Amino acid sequence: MIRTIPKEAYGAIKDIVGADNISDDPAILDSYAFEVMSELVRPDHCHFMPRPWAIVLPGSTEEVAAVTRLCNKYGIKVKPISTGWYHWAAPLKDDEPTVQFDLRRMDKIIEIDEKNMYAVVEPYVICAQLQAEVMKRGLNVNIIGAGCSTSIVASACAYFGAGPSSFYMGNNSENLLGQEWVTPAGDVIRTGSLSSNCGWFCSEGPGPSPRGITRGTLGSRGGLGTYTRCAIKLSPWEGPPVMEPTGKAPGYRLPIPEKFRVYTIGAPSWDAYADCFYKIYDNGIGYIFHRQFNLAGADLAAALWLTYIDPTKTLNDVETAVADPEIKRITEESRISFQLILQGSSIENIQLQDKILNAIMRQCGCYKVERFCEPDMAEFTNMYLQRLGHKHCNYMWVGGYMGSWMQPGTPDFVKGYVPIAIDSFAKDQESGKLVQCGGDALMGCGSTIGGGGLCGLEQFVSYDPNDDSSVDACIQHMEDAVTTTARHGIPPGKEYIYLQVGWPEEKVWDALARMPQKFVLNFQRKIKEAFDPNALGDRNYPWLPEGWGEKTTG
Amino acid sequence: MALQDFRADAMRCTRCAYCKWIPFDLIKSARFSRGCPSMEAGKYHSYSAGGRLITALSLMDGRSTVTERVKDSIFKCNLCGQCDVSCKICRYDMEPLEAMRELRATIVSEGHTLPQLDQVIEGLRTQFNMLGQPAKNRGNWAAALQIKNLTKESADYVFHPGCRYSFDGELAHVTRDCVDILQRAGIDFGIFGQNEKCCGGRAYDMGYRANFNSMAKANLSAWKRAGVTTVITPCAECYHTFSRKYTAKAGSEIKVVHMVQFIAQLVREGKLKFTRPQKMTVTYHDPCHLGRQGEPYVAWEGEEKKIFGQAVCYDPPRPRYNGAFGVYEEPREILRAIPGIELREMERIREASWCCGAGGGSREAYPEFSRATADERLEEARSTGAAAIVTACSWCERNFLDSIESSEAKLKVFDIVELVAQAL
Amino acid sequence: MKNAKAALEEIVGAQNVIDDASVIESYSSDQSDAPRRRPHFVVRPKTAAEVQALVIWANETCTPLVAVSSGSPHFHGDTVPCRPESVIVDLSRMNTIKRIDRRNRIVVIEPGVTYAVLETALSAHGLRISQPLLPRANKSVVASLLERQPTTIPRFNFSLPEPLRNCGVVWGTGEIAFTGEAGNGQMNLEEQWKSGVAQVDPKGPNATDLMRLVTGAQGTMGIVVWASVKCELLPEAKRCVFVTGRRLAELVDFCYKIERIRLGDEVLCVNAAQLATMLQGSSAELTELRKFLPAWTVIIALAGAGLYPEQRVQVQELDLNCIAQQCGLAINQCLPRVSATAVQQALDRCSPEPYYKLKGKGAFEEIFFLTTLNKVPGFVETVIEIAAENNYDLSHLGIYIQPQHQGVTQHVEFSLPFDPADRIEAEKVRRIVAAASEALMQQGAYFSRPYGAWAEMVFNRDTQATRILRTVKQIVDPKNVLNPGKLCF
Repeated sequence: MIRTIPKEAYGAIKDIVGADNISDDPAILDSYAFEVMSELVRPDHCHFMPRPWAIVLPGSTEEVAAVTRLCNKYGIKVKPISTGWYHWAAPLKDDEPTVQFDLRRMDKIIEIDEKNMYAVVEPYVICAQLQAEVMKRGLNVNIIGAGCSTSIVASACAYFGAGPSSFYMGNNSENLLGQEWVTPAGDVIRTGSLSSNCGWFCSEGPGPSPRGITRGTLGSRGGLGTYTRCAIKLSPWEGPPVMEPTGKAPGYRLPIPEKFRVYTIGAPSWDAYADCFYKIYDNGIGYIFHRQFNLAGADLAAALWLTYIDPTKTLNDVETAVADPEIKRITEESRISFQLILQGSSIENIQLQDKILNAIMRQCGCYKVERFCEPDMAEFTNMYLQRLGHKHCNYMWVGGYMGSWMQPGTPDFVKGYVPIAIDSFAKDQESGKLVQCGGDALMGCGSTIGGGGLCGLEQFVSYDPNDDSSVDACIQHMEDAVTTTARHGIPPGKEYIYLQVGWPEEKVWDALARMPQKFVLNFQRKIKEAFDPNALGDRNYPWLPEGWGEKTTG
Repeated sequence: MALQDFRADAMRCTRCAYCKWIPFDLIKSARFSRGCPSMEAGKYHSYSAGGRLITALSLMDGRSTVTERVKDSIFKCNLCGQCDVSCKICRYDMEPLEAMRELRATIVSEGHTLPQLDQVIEGLRTQFNMLGQPAKNRGNWAAALQIKNLTKESADYVFHPGCRYSFDGELAHVTRDCVDILQRAGIDFGIFGQNEKCCGGRAYDMGYRANFNSMAKANLSAWKRAGVTTVITPCAECYHTFSRKYTAKAGSEIKVVHMVQFIAQLVREGKLKFTRPQKMTVTYHDPCHLGRQGEPYVAWEGEEKKIFGQAVCYDPPRPRYNGAFGVYEEPREILRAIPGIELREMERIREASWCCGAGGGSREAYPEFSRATADERLEEARSTGAAAIVTACSWCERNFLDSIESSEAKLKVFDIVELVAQAL
Repeated sequence: MKNAKAALEEIVGAQNVIDDASVIESYSSDQSDAPRRRPHFVVRPKTAAEVQALVIWANETCTPLVAVSSGSPHFHGDTVPCRPESVIVDLSRMNTIKRIDRRNRIVVIEPGVTYAVLETALSAHGLRISQPLLPRANKSVVASLLERQPTTIPRFNFSLPEPLRNCGVVWGTGEIAFTGEAGNGQMNLEEQWKSGVAQVDPKGPNATDLMRLVTGAQGTMGIVVWASVKCELLPEAKRCVFVTGRRLAELVDFCYKIERIRLGDEVLCVNAAQLATMLQGSSAELTELRKFLPAWTVIIALAGAGLYPEQRVQVQELDLNCIAQQCGLAINQCLPRVSATAVQQALDRCSPEPYYKLKGKGAFEEIFFLTTLNKVPGFVETVIEIAAENNYDLSHLGIYIQPQHQGVTQHVEFSLPFDPADRIEAEKVRRIVAAASEALMQQGAYFSRPYGAWAEMVFNRDTQATRILRTVKQIVDPKNVLNPGKLCF
């Protein structure tokens, strides 16, 4: 069934953005409705989320505000996206008129203040672009775990913000400075020093920080207005001004400058792994710190990555590689491992960091995984983690990936759930309907916040979106994860919020009502009432209806 | 193949949008980071490779129909293959470029065509070329030359200039330069002159499979009759068509050599000496069909199989074409060998090369889009500080020449063969 | 009032409800020019439950509450009631260190825990927290963090509220809710600890950053009853070095360079007057010393904690030498008549009582704001100009520049000592502060902590922040019982 917004609304929006920048052609709309993981939550495993009723490409904050105000007049929901990855980027309901903002026309780097180490960007500036520009100036930007194809504004203002470089560079919540926000009512609000007309450099204040209502652990993911600009804090970069990769696709290599070190560190046990994390935190070494390669599954990772870096090979070769005795040895050696890149301010500094790392490894019984530290793999690791441009490898096996678990906490906390997560996932793989990579396909940041202290590990569940039985198996895994975590008194993981995308509102509210502390959900309801009086935003910004917490249903 | 054969690709697309950019590892600036001319023009996600996969799915599932907008999103694309390269950085199971070609062929077969392309194809059908020129004029470039006529004689090599090099008066000197080089090399070659037929590659890309098939059939027969074992061409699109599409679609086993490969070999063997320095800074544009779409190719037939439960691979193993092994080094070797030439690279080179804008029917159907794409490339060339842009494809050359007049980028445009000839 | 007293006594116990005149008087004013107003009672709760009961009572009776955690003196007017019949909630009895978690480097403290007490307790575990410059020994750590007082070690400052992490808050409605990671779990710290939660993640919970709504709030949104604070390792090697200049502008580039690579622990820039005031000695001694001190000094504490502490210091020194050379500056191991040890002590300790800035003349006024380093010299010129125009003795004007947020932001602080017995001088200083504040604001100085008169100046200009904050206030304290009259409330 084809649904369209009222003709008058369409015409009025067209007058604002121009005829080329609005469309309600069904196929065009479907290109926004189609989203990864839709098949996990939609009826009949449909790969399409609810279709927006129109796509609008605004070119400026003024256009965003004007169209938003118009949508208020007509009662049309607004769902903004930058690069628009993940099912919650699409509208959440079929029967609600929704305009999707595709912000790709707002793609400028407004300013790079090199001395004061921040950049001001529009929503369609992706991490790769900004990184390339700031590296010329001896600076770098925290790229989130989803990779460099993502929007900086989105990660800082509207989503999570952690990445492999967060240990050194901070979470993008910490890096967020001034921001510009078009509320669902169509008002343009600026926060921090920006609202006091003092520039972009500070996100706090005046007094209590208004930015406190725009994001917390997560942002509103398009559910509470549109972020049209932000300033992001940068960090020092001691490497060359321009990255000059070598080698052939897909495994480009980045030569390692003399003030850098690139290692894969193995641990003999999860206890040693956690200890090592703590010692890295205590000693403050680490520029990029991530358990990256294990996304392929510990049973297959060594075989996969050593195949990947050979441009003449395909996944067929992984099957052979896995049986190779040397690969088997490396597999075991790297079974519990993570990647660590060090950056020094000087040769002496990096040499000292090396010394410190060696001491840490001795103390914890950890070691460098030799094969992964050889030049070809080390340079590939360097390329992979510095630019983070291979994040689509998450989907490499068969095009479907869902990240489960990932409860954030201290390394000890994470270590506590690791064996349960591994065991549970291994069981779910037995049917052969998920990629059988071993129970440990856990990947995660060394720290999700600046300076260390917090991490998390998510299971990389690979399923075939083209095979309903595989999709079912993934859903079963998600449900199993929910029950397993509950049984062990562990908070629910990412699978829970992914599943909620497909739930009716009442079920979501029931779940929220079971939270031990509901204050924030009631607070958010009132914020929504104040800034979204016509309910143009969707439940990506969670809230509880008044009194709902008092009558939880099962 | 049919569109349904790409259903799995569509279902396994993750909407990651990598197809809109050059491989991220290769990005050197924000300015020259984008990879998809179609997205720059069309803006909606449907104009990307991923978007077209979704369109295919949407059409197959009856969720939408082919509207003018849908046609625009499908045809406004050079089929340059940048998206294919970027997707395959991480994916071994996706064939976005092939899927987009299949989508075109499907809607063309259903009668959803563009009148501008219909007109071109009519010219192909009757005059065997893509420029709408009388077939009898095709051999005029060779009028004053003594070259074997392969309609009557045999030879090991056929020199196939292609439609653009044959008919475009401004490029005819390049065609003649090629002949001079081949003659200096002393190989046994001939031409078909006015009887030469279009390779059909662009017709294939436009979605007109039957017309491609008839060109392929005609060419292969003619070559067989003439005893040809190797085709040499200066045109990147012909090169790609003969080495890839003929192999895959028409079972051809003929060897295919591009002029840059031939010249580079002569240079390496010391058989070509450059005596006249060419003092110039140049930048080299990698043509899509010679670069990322110019990899050595082996036809494959097989089936998807799964390993490790669900991981996709193929039986027999499917060769991988991700732009890694395109013809990139040879033109650079040549330029470095010419005394006086200083080569300055653009940011988007090799498999990340930004398209010239001429391919896929864009030049014919969407001249503004084609021109804008060329302008972008010229801007990038200008940013290197080079005085000239050099390429190895007639279509690239023509598009750049047409754009340069109105462009701010005051650059010279050279065919690499031209520079070689000047330096000999 | 008789009913009120009885109700309060029921909540906190009779001995903890004070209406003694001298005590009441001590809360009626502070060192700022906030109008004097006597509260009716001072209450001293011991538990979060008592605080909650107080807030509920305040809602029922529409009684303003003003939370105070630190001992006196106070300087910014935020603890002086603005409304009649206010009750001071003195949190000094809530002074437990609830947990020191060495492994996760988190300490959980109540609001009555002071810097002096915390320093001692943490050092026994080889820990410390990044603290402000010379905090009062009786200053509440929680209060200081909530105020976003600048800390002296910029490299640890991943965000301005650091090292504050989570809080337990009694909101103005009387509800209790935890901020950050703690807001996701059971409302019981012991239960959270049992389940492995260490109150590390400051963000959240959910899509709101509740902690950011209580920082900078001057107690207007909620009363914090506990806080988790990030700790750092105590360095085993440390020494101070100095780079000096006659003009601030000479040092800006140098400061940019060292802050960029996060060199050093404590890093700050002070003028002669400020530096003198920081050191130990009598007022007369320090007045004399001031004459010999450089006009401007960048103090850098090179420290090594963890493995190879001495080598860390050595390597930093190499980097520092390199940068100093690039800038044409010299590294000094001491200052004229001042040893590095003396300065290091100033960085490591609490302020002598009552407060180091009072030493000079007995009273002082301050101006502080945030900006970027390149703009600091211009702001300094403005203040100097206005002070000079008003015939203020510039040799007393203290200037302190503290890098924040790893160098992105600079806290700039001017101190103008005066003799409180000298009405004319007092009046002059107040005039300078008012004029300079206005001029600085026009020039783009960001008054992120708008105390007293700054509040009106800031919120009159910043309608967007006013709107948001009033909306939030309406939600979390609809009856405006928490410190009404402050900020824009």
